[in-house]
Amino acid sequence: MSADLRLAAAVASGKAAAATSRLLRRGGGTTIPGDVALAVDHGALRKLAPALAGGTILVTGTNGKTTTTGLIAGALESTGRRVLTNRSGANLVFGLVAAAVADADLRGRPRSDVAVFEVDELHLDRAVEETRPRLVVVLNLLRDQLDRSGELETTAARIGGALRKLPPDAKVVANVDDPLVAGQCRGLPNLVPIGVDADDFTLPGLPHAADARACPVCNAPLRFSRVVLAHCGTYSCTSCDFVRPALAYALTRIAARGIDALRLDVDDGTQLDAAAGGVYNAYNVLAAYAALRSLGVDAEQAKQGIARFSPRFGRQETLRLHGRTMRLLLAKNPAGFDEVLRTADELGHAGTYLIALNDRVADGRDVSWIWDVDFERLARRSNDSDKQPRIVASGTRAQDLAVRLKYAGVPTDHVTVEPDPQRALETAARIAHDGEEIAVLPTYTAMLDLRAVAQRAGAVDHFWQEPRTP
Amino acid sequence: MSTRPLRIGHLYPDAMNIYGDIGNVRALTQRARWRDIEVETLAIQDGPADLQGCDILFMGGGQDRDQSRIFRDFGTTKRESLHQAIAQGTAVLAVCGGYQLLGHSYVDADGHELEGLGLLDLRSSAGGDRWIGNVVVEADNSLQLQPSTLVGFENHGGRTHLGPGLTPLGRVVVGGGNNGEDRGEGVLAGRVIGTYLHGSLLPKNPALSDWLLAAGLAHRDNLAEPAALQPLDDAVELAAHRRARELAMAERGRGPVPRRR
Repeated sequence: MSADLRLAAAVASGKAAAATSRLLRRGGGTTIPGDVALAVDHGALRKLAPALAGGTILVTGTNGKTTTTGLIAGALESTGRRVLTNRSGANLVFGLVAAAVADADLRGRPRSDVAVFEVDELHLDRAVEETRPRLVVVLNLLRDQLDRSGELETTAARIGGALRKLPPDAKVVANVDDPLVAGQCRGLPNLVPIGVDADDFTLPGLPHAADARACPVCNAPLRFSRVVLAHCGTYSCTSCDFVRPALAYALTRIAARGIDALRLDVDDGTQLDAAAGGVYNAYNVLAAYAALRSLGVDAEQAKQGIARFSPRFGRQETLRLHGRTMRLLLAKNPAGFDEVLRTADELGHAGTYLIALNDRVADGRDVSWIWDVDFERLARRSNDSDKQPRIVASGTRAQDLAVRLKYAGVPTDHVTVEPDPQRALETAARIAHDGEEIAVLPTYTAMLDLRAVAQRAGAVDHFWQEPRTP
Repeated sequence: MSTRPLRIGHLYPDAMNIYGDIGNVRALTQRARWRDIEVETLAIQDGPADLQGCDILFMGGGQDRDQSRIFRDFGTTKRESLHQAIAQGTAVLAVCGGYQLLGHSYVDADGHELEGLGLLDLRSSAGGDRWIGNVVVEADNSLQLQPSTLVGFENHGGRTHLGPGLTPLGRVVVGGGNNGEDRGEGVLAGRVIGTYLHGSLLPKNPALSDWLLAAGLAHRDNLAEPAALQPLDDAVELAAHRRARELAMAERGRGPVPRRR
C-alpha cells in the first residue's frame, strides 16, 4: 500500500505543533495539533480511525463522559489492547484528531488497536461521520450551560440525528433512565438499554434541576415511580404508551463505600467494585460495563478492568495541601452540582466546603444556573448552627455564590468570600477541623485554577502529564 | 389589623424556568420573611387560575416547545384574569419569554406569528442573532432605586419595540437590551415590569426586589401608594451587584455584540 503523503504530512505537522505547544506551556497541547493536522489534511481522522483494528468507541452525554471513557479505556488496556484516547477532556473533533495524530507513526498508521473517545454532544455527528464507530455510549442529556449549547431539546435532536448516521452494525449503549435519551434512541437497531432497578439511593421526587418532565413523544407529563437523580429514573407517560424501555443491563443494588467507592450488583449476577463514588457514578460504571460486554469482553475481565480504575482530573481526586486532605468534586451544571453536593453531604458528611464559581466561556458566562442547584441542602442539615457547614466561596463569581448561599438559608457568618484560588485554599485549610476532609466543588475553569495552585505546591501533576491508568 | 399572607403567583414554574429564574421568587420570599412578612407562593399551571388573588406575579422564560404551548394556554385561560389583576394593582415581573408574552405578538424566525396577550403596547420578533452577555442598565428614575443600576445577563434572539406611550425599565449602559436601536431595556408600566435580564435578576438587585415587594404589599393592603419597607443588611447582595457591574463594564464598548450561530 502506498503511503498517504498528505496524511503523513498532517501527522508530522500535528506532532510538531504539539511539541511546540508543550514547550510554550500553552495548556498541554491537547487540541492545537488537531487544528494544524486538519489544516494539512482535512480527512486526517477519517483516514486514521478506520485503520484501528479494534475500531472506535465514542462516549457522549452531558455529565460523566470523562469518567466513563476512562473506565472503558482502562479496562480495555488491562485486557492487553493498546488504547488510543483523548485523556485530557479535549472532546471536540480537533481534540480527537490531536489524539489520533499523536498516536500515529510518521507514515500515518495508528500504533493503537482501539480508540475510546469522549465526544462533546454537539460534535457527535461529525465524530460519527469521521470515525465510523463500533459503539456509542449515550450517558444522559441534562441542562448544561445554555449560552454554550443552546436549548436542551436542540442538543437532544442533534444526538438523535447522529445516532441515525451510525454504521448498520454499530451498537448504542444508552442510559434509558433518562427519558430524553430514551426518546432519541427509539427504533435504533442495536440498542443496549441500561438503567437502575435499585432503590438504595432515590430522591423523594423530581428535583428542581430536572428538565425532562414531559414525554418526548407526545409532550404529556411523565409519571416517575422512581427518581435516581435529576430526571433519571423509572417513568411512564401519563397519556401515550411511552415507558422506560426494557433493560439489557440493570443495577439491582447500589452500595456506597464512603465518598469515593461503589459496589454495584448487575442483574447478570456480576458484582462491580469501582473507585468512583456517588450515585451519578453508578450510571457511569454500569455504562462502561455494558459497553465492555457489548464489545465482547467477558464479565470477569470487565469486572477486573473496572476495579483497576483510578479517578481522573478533578473528578474525586484528592490533594494534600496545607496539611489537609482536599477532595476535588468537579461540577459543571445544575444536575452535576446537585449530585456532588449530595455526595459530599450524604456520603462524605463534609463540614468544610470550598465552592468555586467561574464565569469563563468553558463554565458558561451566565451564572444564573446556580439558582437551580439545591444549595438549600446545606442549610437543611441541622437547626443547630454549629453543625452547619462552613463554606469558602471562591472564583470570578464568588460574590454571586455568597448571595445564593444566603438565600438558601446558610448563615452569612458561615460563608467566607475569597475569590482568589490560592487564598481560598488557605482559608479552607485554616477553618477545617483536624482530620477533616475538605470538599472542593469547582466549575471547570475554577478547577483548573485550583489545580494550578496545588500543582505549584507540588500536590498534583501537570495535566498534560496526567498519569495513564495502569 | 390581621392580614392574610402576601401571595406570590409563580406562573408555569416547571416549564418556564430555564435560566435559574426561580431565584427571583426566592429573593422575594426570603426578603419578605426576613421582615416577618408572611408569604405564600402559588404554582400556577395550565388551565384557569385566579390571578387577581395574587399580590405579585412572576413568569420566566422557557424552551421554544414549552413556550408556544404556554402562549396558547395563557391566551385561552388566563388573559382576562391577568388583565383584571393588573388593573387592580397586582405587581408583575415577566422575564424574557414572559415579557414578550405581555405584548401583542411574537414573530419567530420563520415568520410565524404567536399571538401575545396584548396587555402592553409592545411587539417582539426574532432577530438575526442571539445577544448573550452581561448587562448594566440605568434604571428609570421613577423607581428611585439605590443604587440606580440594574445588573443581569441577557440571552435572547428576540427584539422588542415599545409603543409610543411606554417607558423602558431603564437605559442600557452595557449590553443589547430591547432592540439595540433605542438603548431601552425592558418595560415599566405602573406595577408591571418586563425585562430580558436573568442573573437571576432580583437577588443581585435588592432594591428592585423591594420595589416589587412594596408594590405587592400595597395591593394586599389596598394602599394607593406603596409604603416604605424595613431596611435589611444587603452587604452580600451589593457586593455581588458591584462585582457584576465591574465585570460588565470591562466589556463596555462592545455594544450589542452578536455572538455565536
